Amino acid sequence: MYVIEVIITNKENVRDPEGETIHRSLVIRRGFNDVAGIRAGKYLEFRVNKPSCREALEYVKELCYKLRIYNPVVHDIKVRASGSDSCD
Amino acid sequence: MPLTTEELSEIKMILGREPTRAELSMFEAQWSEHCSYKSSRYYLRLLPTTNSNVLIGPGRDAPAVKAFDRFALVFKIESHNHPSAVDPYNGAATGIGGIVRDIMTLGAKPIALLDLLFLGEPSNHYANWLIRGVVKGISDYGNRIGVPVVAGMIWFDKSYNTYPLVNVACVGIVEVSKLVNSVPEAGDLIVVAGNSTGRDGIFGSSFASKSLGSDELSNISAVQVGNPLMEKLLIDAITEATELGLIKYMKDLGGGGLATALSELAADHNLGAVVILDSLHLREGNMSPEEILVSESQERMMLIVASDRLNDLGAVLKRYDLEYSVIGYLSSDGLIKVYYRGELVANVPAKELAKPRIRLWDIEIPEEYRSLGRELRIPEVNDLSHALRKVLSSPNVVSKEWVYSQYDYEVGIRTVIKPGAGDAAVLRLMEVSEYAGIAVKGDGNPRYVYLNPFMGAANAVGECYRNLISVGSKPVAIVDELNAGNPEKPTHYWYFTQMVKGVAWMAQELKLPVVGGKVSFYNEDLSNGSQVRPVTTIVGVGLIDDVRKSVTYSLKNDGDYVIVVGVTCPELGGSEYIYRCFGLEAGEIPLPRPSSEILNGTYVSKLIDLGYALAVHDVDVGGIAAAISEMCVKGMKGVMIDLSKVPARGCSRFDEIMFSESQARYLVEVRRDCLGKALELARDLNVEVGVLGEVHGDELAIRYGDLDLVRVGINELREIYDNTLERLIEG
Repeated sequence: MYVIEVIITNKENVRDPEGETIHRSLVIRRGFNDVAGIRAGKYLEFRVNKPSCREALEYVKELCYKLRIYNPVVHDIKVRASGSDSCD
Repeated sequence: MPLTTEELSEIKMILGREPTRAELSMFEAQWSEHCSYKSSRYYLRLLPTTNSNVLIGPGRDAPAVKAFDRFALVFKIESHNHPSAVDPYNGAATGIGGIVRDIMTLGAKPIALLDLLFLGEPSNHYANWLIRGVVKGISDYGNRIGVPVVAGMIWFDKSYNTYPLVNVACVGIVEVSKLVNSVPEAGDLIVVAGNSTGRDGIFGSSFASKSLGSDELSNISAVQVGNPLMEKLLIDAITEATELGLIKYMKDLGGGGLATALSELAADHNLGAVVILDSLHLREGNMSPEEILVSESQERMMLIVASDRLNDLGAVLKRYDLEYSVIGYLSSDGLIKVYYRGELVANVPAKELAKPRIRLWDIEIPEEYRSLGRELRIPEVNDLSHALRKVLSSPNVVSKEWVYSQYDYEVGIRTVIKPGAGDAAVLRLMEVSEYAGIAVKGDGNPRYVYLNPFMGAANAVGECYRNLISVGSKPVAIVDELNAGNPEKPTHYWYFTQMVKGVAWMAQELKLPVVGGKVSFYNEDLSNGSQVRPVTTIVGVGLIDDVRKSVTYSLKNDGDYVIVVGVTCPELGGSEYIYRCFGLEAGEIPLPRPSSEILNGTYVSKLIDLGYALAVHDVDVGGIAAAISEMCVKGMKGVMIDLSKVPARGCSRFDEIMFSESQARYLVEVRRDCLGKALELARDLNVEVGVLGEVHGDELAIRYGDLDLVRVGINELREIYDNTLERLIEG
């Protein structure tokens, strides 16, 4: 069993009202003025039965695309093995 | 760049010099099809737009019609087809945001939303994703701003598999004396309130004014993300500022951004403007003037305020935590002068910028259209029960509860007739009086338009008229949305011209002014560039003196009579029946019948007003058989109807009477003790009616004289009607 993490955010040049609102209405308002920006997103954790981490990673990547868990036009997606960027 | 070589040389002529980059961007945005209507304006002149009820006709961001003396209804339709094809969730959501702001520009409070969706097959994987995204986008945005989605329609067709049509409409109300409709003057200040301006949505209008190629999918600067909480603040702040009379004039900063809003505002009032872009609150620091001028960042409004009211307006905006900037003032020289970092970056005559030359394209009747089968050969059908099940289970006929249950349709406690209960939604107008109300509904049928764009568009007007009549309202005005293909292709442009003419003719005949509308071109399949099925959608409003008299279409009482109003002709061309049972999309579609619409509509209105009618349902897609099934399911009551009592002309088969989609017809449940009076009234008015049978039991039985044709239990009908769509979409 491998734990694969998926993080979906709006692309850099696509607006993120949720992040903006947290930034403006909570963080800045409470005086944490050194925070220059906030991006909100979605985090999914897949527990995958595959013989190798790499296969588990590819499997999740494929299903995210095929099931349109994200919209490639709007979102950036990060798929990684739990706690690290690669399987190594 | 969408500007053509001729347009470029025209711009040089206007300016007498080479345009600056900022000027070019402004021209490109404003001269886009989306903002300037250059390919449609010529034909739109055909539409009847005025009568004594019309306070503000086409030309502003939204029109207004009189309602109950002191009040005005402001309503408008808009399409967000391109954005929804690329990003269904945000595309549909920002469509709602835009139409709501259009309504607000006249100072009206938005009270209801409608959505008219043309979606692909639920079984198609990609189309299914689009369907879910569009519906979720509308519900999230509508629910969060607290404006109920009360009505609409959905049509499924494979031509929309990669490219949906998303039309949304909004209705607002305002006291006539509070309409934001003053004449702006030189010296008035230009205020931009709401969201900060960023790079998002740059050139959205130009993007919507050409075909989407697959490479366009990476063109993400046109993607806009809605912020419904910001919109809600804008609604509340502007409602308050309007109440206090602080705003002279308003424009939505929508398609074309500042460039469009400034040029239209100035051109409409023979004014100019001086704008200091440095004053505008920006999201990103390093934007160029051309980016700022054409950014379509959502949730922004342009407010024109007299200089001595600025402080009061600022106080209201601040109280709602809304950012705003005073970006300049109106001038009298007719020039739009834009400064940035101390430099004059644009100096353009407003009138020339606002209205590019009309473009007329070649027209050609498509070969596909010429070769459509006009003569129908329909096989004999023995099992009419099976045929009824097929028609009733069509996604175009079944209950759309899967969709509207995601919408908060009751917020605001106005909704008297809810989605799925009547032919139109009915809303109370508490501002006017305890029982005053309005009806709203929208319609369109792409199959009819495909088979005959003129009559198909005309029938959409007729259908909308009937729906407004059915609930007991008096239709007052309509808006139209013309969804068409690529105007540069003569065969696509032909559909557009035919549709406008159809709407114009029928609206004239029914005396319904077309007070506003929208044209959407370049609706083409992402994969092959073919035109997605063009369609005209019509949204209408009607007035109701007493909402307690409005009626739904559920059968009410055992022993009451069901009558049919209007004549049934053998009009199966383009019907749901021949599509579902034989896969045919052919034949002549039902003829628009304006004089019958008026006569029969008048009769039904009287039945409702006199209290004789307890349920009314207009007969449309699926014919009498589908209409009576829906009335049974909604009331959970059975009925036995006799088709030999239907006033039918030229029909030689049972299926023609059952499934014909002849226009100008209604089914009405008449109170048992009022049947005699109802029939007498029909004789007096010369309306053809037939008494089909009595409400009783728990099955729908359809007979012809002594011959049994259909027997289906109400529970089975209900199962089909209520659950099919969810099964199709959820799989």
